[in-house]
Amino acid sequence: MKKTFVTLAALALAASAWAVEIGQPAPDFTGTDINGKTIKLADYQGKIVVLESYNSDCPFCHNQYKTGAAQALQKELAEKGVVWLMVNSVNPRNPSHRTASQAQQEWTDLKMAATAWIDDSTGTIGHLYGMKTTPHVFVVDKTGKVVYVGAMDDQPDPVHDPKTARNYVRETVDDLLAGKPIEVAQTKPYGCAVHY
Amino acid sequence: MWHLIVMRRSVAILFAVLGLVLSRTAPAGAQLDFAGAGDGATHHTRVKLFLSAATVKPGDTIVAGVDLKMDAGWHTYWKNPGEAGTATKIDWTLPAGVSAGEIQWPLPHKLPPAEVATYGYEDEVMLLVPLTVAASVTPGPLTLSAKVSWLECRESCIPADDTVTAKIDAGAETQTSPEAVLIDTWKKKTPQPSGSLAFQAVWEKPAVGDTRSLLISHGPAAAEKSVQCSAVDFFPGASDNYEIEPAVEVLSALSSDIQLRKQVKKFSGDWPMQISGTVVFETGQGRSGYDVNLSVAEKVAAGTSGAATGPAAGTTAGTSPGATSLAPVDLAGTPMWQMLLYAFLGGLILNIMPCVLPVIALKILGFVSEAQSQPRHIRKLGLCYTLGVLASFLVLAGLVISFQTAGHQAGWGMQFGSPIFIVCLTTLVLLVALNLFGVFEVAVGGRAFDTASSLASKSGPAGAFFNGVLATTLATPCTAPFLAPALGFAFAQSAPVIVIFFLTVGLGLSLPYLVLSWQPAWLKFLPKPGGWMEKFKIAMGFPMLATVVWLFNIAASSYRSNVLWLGVFLVLVAFAAWIFGEFVQRGRQRKLLAGIATLLVLAGAYGFALEKELDWRAPAAGNGAGGGQATADGLDWQPWSPEAVAAARAAGKPVLVDFTADWCATCQFNKKTSIDVPAVRKKLKALDATTLVGDYTHFPEAITQELRRHHRAGVPLVLVYPAHAQVAEIVLPDGLLTPRIVLDALDGRTTPVQWGGIILWGGGAVGLVLLLAVYWRKQPAAAPTSVSRPS
Repeated sequence: MKKTFVTLAALALAASAWAVEIGQPAPDFTGTDINGKTIKLADYQGKIVVLESYNSDCPFCHNQYKTGAAQALQKELAEKGVVWLMVNSVNPRNPSHRTASQAQQEWTDLKMAATAWIDDSTGTIGHLYGMKTTPHVFVVDKTGKVVYVGAMDDQPDPVHDPKTARNYVRETVDDLLAGKPIEVAQTKPYGCAVHY
Repeated sequence: MWHLIVMRRSVAILFAVLGLVLSRTAPAGAQLDFAGAGDGATHHTRVKLFLSAATVKPGDTIVAGVDLKMDAGWHTYWKNPGEAGTATKIDWTLPAGVSAGEIQWPLPHKLPPAEVATYGYEDEVMLLVPLTVAASVTPGPLTLSAKVSWLECRESCIPADDTVTAKIDAGAETQTSPEAVLIDTWKKKTPQPSGSLAFQAVWEKPAVGDTRSLLISHGPAAAEKSVQCSAVDFFPGASDNYEIEPAVEVLSALSSDIQLRKQVKKFSGDWPMQISGTVVFETGQGRSGYDVNLSVAEKVAAGTSGAATGPAAGTTAGTSPGATSLAPVDLAGTPMWQMLLYAFLGGLILNIMPCVLPVIALKILGFVSEAQSQPRHIRKLGLCYTLGVLASFLVLAGLVISFQTAGHQAGWGMQFGSPIFIVCLTTLVLLVALNLFGVFEVAVGGRAFDTASSLASKSGPAGAFFNGVLATTLATPCTAPFLAPALGFAFAQSAPVIVIFFLTVGLGLSLPYLVLSWQPAWLKFLPKPGGWMEKFKIAMGFPMLATVVWLFNIAASSYRSNVLWLGVFLVLVAFAAWIFGEFVQRGRQRKLLAGIATLLVLAGAYGFALEKELDWRAPAAGNGAGGGQATADGLDWQPWSPEAVAAARAAGKPVLVDFTADWCATCQFNKKTSIDVPAVRKKLKALDATTLVGDYTHFPEAITQELRRHHRAGVPLVLVYPAHAQVAEIVLPDGLLTPRIVLDALDGRTTPVQWGGIILWGGGAVGLVLLLAVYWRKQPAAAPTSVSRPS
């Protein structure tokens, strides 16, 4: 039984773990945001896109939002023409799942400034990208290639002040806009497990 | 509250339970405010602090047990949380003189879900921390306080902390507390040191993107009773630059022969050379863990050892040669500067190793003829020679790095494993010898120079540079004292470090000439130039010729009896060189015809002898030709393999392993002078020892691997395994051996460094060259300074 489980685990990982590679095209997906709008990654060709796995019950995500750091970064990047897609893959049976109306409420309460919050409760996008933790961040450049995968910042705990941490998303976007090579292209993501 | 809306859905009972839990966890509004960490809000883990002693005597160490009890379904994390989560932290507030050691973590479980696997504890765990009370602490009550922070998770995660306190009296005696028993039961759940269990980690293949598969194995241990484990796994320690994936593929779950495959994902930097973690076994008797810290080696290609293949050679890759022998020589603690110093000394000593001696003679000749010229010119030549050496070392470093980036192993002298290289080098050295004999001259700038005094001086910078290249090329089959550990260290480092090490060896090799060329006054000790130089030059052609024979012998191991055609080729090349020298360079008429004849002979030699008959670029694999036979002396040399070592040790026999190669001059020398000698033979017979030979001529990866384990970049390497299987093998010193060293090792002793031998050898070599020079100096310099041939 245990062996079967381990084998299944290995297969599941093999299927999901290396879904995205740095320098490779970001897999396209179509999803629906919390306002019912269809979001297709390919539509953002020509723009830098940030994908963030999100679950506000996860203290690691929440630390980014309760301090206002995530929203400030979303605003800052939006002004630079960057698209920020939040991906919530929490399954509907989990108490942390958000219905559309709950999510809209949370969006307003927390003054979120992302481009969209995609409801991925089926886990399709999460699995496609091999999202492990909340948060787990992916940055896609203007040509549609994955240029950064990993943690939001360099402080793997849920209590630090994100505003003073080294934020890898901002760094990546700034490097892209300046035409410089990405200094840190991969980090170990930290956070809660994505509740698929 | 949102989760109440969720509750309207099906499976109401389950959600009722969840709802209860959540309403305890997160009172109204708390879901959006996780400031709850540590503020006394309800959490699902309760912490207690236990001490192993009731009173402690200053100077003693006690154990503190930080006990975390989790509610059903909740878990906290191990030191490496895995793909998500955070390790529990303990911050101590301790009185002066009391210090806390590292947390000893009981063996964790791998927690689902499979797609985001983590390592942690459910129900309860006690983290153990040694607390040392300094001898200076005055008797009296001590208050020990710990702030414990953890992340607890079920359907969601909550960070929390709590402060726990315990009191203890410092007194005359350390008396155990009632909780000591409980602490002890948890102590038994912490992993054991791997001890005699020899685990090994091997990269299975080159990386695919940022992923690389890793094999972790143990055994096969012959003596151990084997049990089928119900589960085997490796839980890695935490790391920032890479992640060893939680998924595991079990290739063999026999307790005597464990084999796992793990995927390693790299985030940044180089592939790890060292991995640590816990190997976990689960048998009918329960779970046990062994802490390991493993050097990661490259994979042994199956069957390349040229030996009898062990059971399932493909999967037993990198198995241990003996149960206790896997701990590699610890060089990690040696500082870099010391290794660089070794590299430098090694390069310096290379000058007096037999491989480089013929070139030294050439250098001396050059200096003699230079002694009268401008100091500036001499300096320039010294610099050119150094540049030649350094450039060659750069090329070597580049080769090593490109080999390694391609996922192969590289080794010192590895180019000697290539028959193509051997053929080219043999031809080149033959031409050098013929040149010294005066058969033809090396033309520089369109002019032929043919006198001894012009040999080095007028051929100038290019000649000096060439000498440097030749010195380096001929130096590589030799290793010298100090050089082996330094290169062994360097080969395991990053590319820039490899380059620095190679350049340092090169500097060492060229330093004597650089110094001499800067201090021409010292050249006074050298004889005056004269007619003797022509004789000396011809005399030096013979060591070169000897080198040709030696190289020819190496080629023989690749081409077997076909090597005859290499001989034919060399004779034809010599013939072409003579036509060229006699009729093109020194001839008066029909130079064009002679030139065409030269080219025709060369083309014929190449096309017929090398291409058609020898098929020199694709020799029949001659693996293992140099080893595996019983020699006439009666020593039964068997081919080396890890299995052969393990089998001999299991049978209680001492083992001597000689890693050697046909091209390794030092190896041949050692064998003749120190291993294959009557005293050692007698000893080996008396001990009923097994003698194994590892043939590195063709550079099999299995041996590269074994060399690497001993931090060697190449041969020679001689190992002696004492009969007692619990005793680790003795690594004989690098460089030149003496029978005493070998005999002592067979007796289980290591011999102190034989400086006497090193000095004797080095001194002898230098002395011989000087003696020759002095002899000629005494000859009257009456002869004309140049013995010109008509040109």
